[in-house]
Amino acid sequence: MYPFEGLFSLLVLSLVLETQALTPTHHLTTTDVARLQALLSQPFTDLKSAYYSVVGLSKLGISVADAATCRFIKSNLDPSSVESLFFAAEASQALPGCEIPVSNDTRDLLLATVSEDSTASQIHQSVSALSSLGLPLASQEVVSALKARISKEDNVLTIILALQTASRLSQQAELGEILEEIEDLAARLDDLGGVYLQFEEGLEATALFVSAAYALSDHVDMEPPIDQVIQLVNSIFSKKSWDSLSEAFSVASAAESLSSNRFHVPIIVSAQGPAAISHSQPFLRLQVTNVLCKPLSSASVLVESATATSSKSAILSQAPFTLRDGVFELNFMASQPASGYYQFSVAIAGDSRFVANHVELKVKVSTRVSINNMDLSVVDKDQSIGPKTTRVEYPAKAKASFMADSHQIFAMTFQLVDETTGVELTPHQTFVRLHNQKTGQEVVFVAEPDSKNLYKFELDTTERKTEFDSISGTYALYLMVGDATLENPILWNVADVVLKFLDEEAPSTIQAKTLYTPKPEIQHLFILPEKKPPTVVSNEFTALVLSPFLLLLILWFKLGANISNFTLSPSTVLFHIGHAAMLGLMYVYWTHLNMFQTLKYLAIIGSFTFLAGNRMLAQKAVKRLVDNLAAKLL
Amino acid sequence: MSNSVISVISRFLEEYASSTPNKLKVIDAYLLYIMMTGALQFLYCLLVGTFPFNSFLSGFISCVGSFILAVCLRIQINPQNKGEFLSISPERAFADFLFAHTVLHLVVINFIG
Repeated sequence: MYPFEGLFSLLVLSLVLETQALTPTHHLTTTDVARLQALLSQPFTDLKSAYYSVVGLSKLGISVADAATCRFIKSNLDPSSVESLFFAAEASQALPGCEIPVSNDTRDLLLATVSEDSTASQIHQSVSALSSLGLPLASQEVVSALKARISKEDNVLTIILALQTASRLSQQAELGEILEEIEDLAARLDDLGGVYLQFEEGLEATALFVSAAYALSDHVDMEPPIDQVIQLVNSIFSKKSWDSLSEAFSVASAAESLSSNRFHVPIIVSAQGPAAISHSQPFLRLQVTNVLCKPLSSASVLVESATATSSKSAILSQAPFTLRDGVFELNFMASQPASGYYQFSVAIAGDSRFVANHVELKVKVSTRVSINNMDLSVVDKDQSIGPKTTRVEYPAKAKASFMADSHQIFAMTFQLVDETTGVELTPHQTFVRLHNQKTGQEVVFVAEPDSKNLYKFELDTTERKTEFDSISGTYALYLMVGDATLENPILWNVADVVLKFLDEEAPSTIQAKTLYTPKPEIQHLFILPEKKPPTVVSNEFTALVLSPFLLLLILWFKLGANISNFTLSPSTVLFHIGHAAMLGLMYVYWTHLNMFQTLKYLAIIGSFTFLAGNRMLAQKAVKRLVDNLAAKLL
Repeated sequence: MSNSVISVISRFLEEYASSTPNKLKVIDAYLLYIMMTGALQFLYCLLVGTFPFNSFLSGFISCVGSFILAVCLRIQINPQNKGEFLSISPERAFADFLFAHTVLHLVVINFIG
């Protein structure tokens, strides 16, 4: 049993620590609070808006001591309406010296409303009115009516109203069951990404829940089972302009309850201005306030650790902030930190109610840079002539200009140090810019530090001639030094350099690149027909190809081929006609027809020719056989 | 050496003229005609160029196809080959020849463009 308990408490502790590590991402700033106040201070038109304004402002700590308001409330009061009585009673309670006259009928009306048949809203209003007007009420009846109401209507608003009503009852009543509703209701909140926690009914419901839950918890002096206070803070205070008086009122109530309840007080830690420190501003200033932006003077702020983000070495440990004019400050420069970024882990103590009292901050330490030992020289490539170094002091410019042609290299070395401490620095941006004043061309190079943090820049004219487009001339040399942690970025015209390039290919004046001028028109070339041989040649060859036919006829004649066996039987004639027709069809196909038509005609003529031919050949075969037989017999 | 070649050729021609039946000689003349036509077409293509290539191909294939079909006809008609073509009478061979030519010419005309 005991080991399990131990494990359970360890789990709870880890969960608690986890939630405590979360800090509010949204909170009201002083301008937001002023805006809320302005919205609530608008002139009111009816009793309801008067109630919201007066009570809302009182929650923000601003009391409206106005006789006119009291008169307004009294004149607009309708004694026969429970709602009207509620608004008037609550508003007059917030106004000092404003008393609402109460008659017996009013009291009876209010007492009669406390029953199971009234809505939760009516019960809430009558109980609040009775309590504000100082009239006695029967707490137990109220509790049972509320319980019945909750079991009939299980929605969020009903339970919130029940919680609010219960906080007005006497402490002797049995509020245990209603108190349990806080936990059930908290379980109904929607978690959005672990950052926001709100009801789907919206901002007003969430804010009213917070104020009701803490009001009841304070009333019975029991810690509410709400452990995600910061997420609730994020949800309620993420909206910075409010649509209606009731929404503004709910936010004001929630803010008030979160800043002054007995159990959980979320604190908001923010740096005053940017979290940046320099020699001119050595103090890191933090504002520690509650959700209503009221500074918490009872708090004591301590830096648990301050580590450099680059080297991870701890600079400070357990250093306290001092309170001055409501702002906590720490002289960080006294620890002589090097420039860069530091991760601060700050703890706020002083009250056990504080929630989100561990904050992580990123602090920047800036410094001023100074350039030492700027040496410029022109070195011969073959090192035959020793370099003459000219030293230039910032912000002066070198008197003589430097000449470098294709045989020489222009070199520059310098050191960047912290102005106050003399520590060498390596800023992010160290550029060398060469600007040709005549043509407006500029080329930028990067100067790199070597292992001893000495910056070197070398310009070899032959190597770099493409960047310069081989344009010779006088170039103004600038050194640009910049970094996020430098307070004084530098742009220094160090010297003038005359560069001479070989093979000056570029034109003497540079024209703007002709990128957007019309290009030469492309003429479309249609496909040229293939080269054909001259017609004479083809005609000659056609005759030549047809000439062997003559040869054939001659040969056949010589061989004695004849048509003497040509019988004029009908099948023979028809066959020959059909065959000729087929050949004619071939010609017509070549000139006019397509394959389908040809096949159609061919089928007709062909079948006809086939029949005739078959007949003819059969006759011929018979004749041949008869002749053979006759020859054999003879 | 050339002497023997000449004597072989002259002997061959003599034999051919005497022992070949007339029908076969007629077909041989036709074969010669076809061959010359094809050769002349090929010569044109070599000399002048292959434009239009499809026409050249169709003409050339027509010659080649006709030559082959005529050779087949000659083989089938030759009385010395009668033993191998018992089921095919000369008339039948001629009919086949005509049919095959029809198909050949259909394709040739289609391709000639």
